[in-house]
Amino acid sequence: MKKHNITVGLEKAYVTTMMTIVGRALISASQYDDEVRREIAGMPTGYVLSMTVMPSGPGFTLRAEKDGSLTWLSNDTPADLTIRFKHLEHAFMVFSFQESTSRAFANDRMIADGEVSQAIRLVRCLNKLESIILPKVVAKLAVKRYPEKLAVGEKFSKALRIYAGVTQQIVKGR
Amino acid sequence: MAQSYYEFFCPVKMIAGHKALEHIPFELTAIGVSRPMIITDKGVRQVGLVDHVTNAFDGTDREVAAIFDDVPPDSSLKTVQAAAKAYRDQQCDAILAIGGGSVIDTAKGVNILVSEGGNDLTKYSGAHNLPKKLNPLFVVPTTAGTGSEATMVAVISDTEKETKLPFASYFLMPDAAILDPRMTLTLPPHITAMTAMDAMTHAVESYTCLSANPMSDAYASAAIRKISENLMDVMATPDNAQGRLELAQASTMAGAAFSNAMVGLVHSLGHALGAVCHLPHGLCMNLFLPYVLDYNKSVNGDKIADLLLPLAGADVYANTPQAQRADKAIAHLRQMRDELFERCNLPRTLKETGKVERSQIQQIAEKALDDGSIIYNPKEASLEDLIQVLEGAWE
Ligand SMILES: [Fe+2]
Repeated sequence: MKKHNITVGLEKAYVTTMMTIVGRALISASQYDDEVRREIAGMPTGYVLSMTVMPSGPGFTLRAEKDGSLTWLSNDTPADLTIRFKHLEHAFMVFSFQESTSRAFANDRMIADGEVSQAIRLVRCLNKLESIILPKVVAKLAVKRYPEKLAVGEKFSKALRIYAGVTQQIVKGR
Repeated sequence: MAQSYYEFFCPVKMIAGHKALEHIPFELTAIGVSRPMIITDKGVRQVGLVDHVTNAFDGTDREVAAIFDDVPPDSSLKTVQAAAKAYRDQQCDAILAIGGGSVIDTAKGVNILVSEGGNDLTKYSGAHNLPKKLNPLFVVPTTAGTGSEATMVAVISDTEKETKLPFASYFLMPDAAILDPRMTLTLPPHITAMTAMDAMTHAVESYTCLSANPMSDAYASAAIRKISENLMDVMATPDNAQGRLELAQASTMAGAAFSNAMVGLVHSLGHALGAVCHLPHGLCMNLFLPYVLDYNKSVNGDKIADLLLPLAGADVYANTPQAQRADKAIAHLRQMRDELFERCNLPRTLKETGKVERSQIQQIAEKALDDGSIIYNPKEASLEDLIQVLEGAWE
């Protein structure tokens, strides 16, 4: 196998894992973080959002519930909003926090198919999530503005709950 | 910025200057069009602008096959369908759009239907949902502002569902933009001012927002220079044909810039204010421009500082220390707004519009937060930030 193929294989594995983690973490954040919950509650109830890589994944698909929480759906569920990375490499850059989600949008790395205002909500949720779960030095690269109000204590306890939530979901396979 | 990347796309042929309209028959013939349909509105037709175009066909072997002049100020699905029917009834093979933003967007919508078939425009809404190149579309702008003649987007209202359907596709780029000084010569002063400040905002936001790139920067700075150098002359002497042409070119250049580099918070707030208080787009742009630059300055002051050169000229730029250039650029824009207020009462604050209640600020901020352009703004803006900017713009 050529070196390039190994890299592509590894990146695909990484992006697949990260898609699962980020999708699951969004679900957790929608339970523990008021801001994220408010954003999701602002979406039409039952709105299905999906983030994926062209041509055929990996990705995650979530549904916005009335109370602002999110639920996990299988990737073949038709979505109201789909954000598609044009290439695996572009998704890798975003999920390895080398390029922020907003920057990826600005650089045409992905196509948003669906209502733009909902896409923006999703991006804000991702920003908040990254601010919470990533170490501050990394998060500062991944978001436009690191929330000044995010105290270390809040960050740590929320991060812990979100990580725990992700692990639990993955173990339970919900 | 560590590793940059950008895209730039503008395949529109520019046909600009003295007697430009008379080039239309040749250009149509060159791409095999024999039955063009004009899409326009009643206002444009009444002031004789359509005649300028049809007269250009005299003495040629081409003629205009149909004229649809029923476009309302806000393009709608119904209008698009009616115009598509006229196109089909007359067996037309190209569209010649003559008008401002609504006419151009309608023409783009019609072109989707007549090229793709059917009557359901909604299924092509969204990003990149057109499968192939459309029929030829030529655009003759009659305002110098929207820049739609150089963009790949269109917005059509669904009046029944009370929503606006966005369309974005490479195939929505017109084939040609024809800029002739005759077409904007009779524009009333307040429209001239509003549309020019819309174009100015397109250029300033392209230059200062996240998707700015070397190509769009070139178009944006050239557009800013043309507007700064010519707007006040045209306001003072409206029949200044050369000045009119400069503004028209600036508008198209700014369109090419923002179609690629996008716009930011001025547009987010402007779209929201326009929707909540029913104020014209250009007015909202003129109103918010300096306030948003002030807000963004802490993040991209260096880019705002660059604008002083095209805005105020080489002498002012050279005599201003680098550290003061961003503020000076914003001050220059404020000064332009003051002059426009003197000349045609173009409001500079929310209060001056006389149409906004202070209690509506919350609603405007909430709407702006959901606007697509906010993602391209260089500085993150929360609801509280937006309220603060709006409060600052109150009086
Ligand atoms: Fe605009």
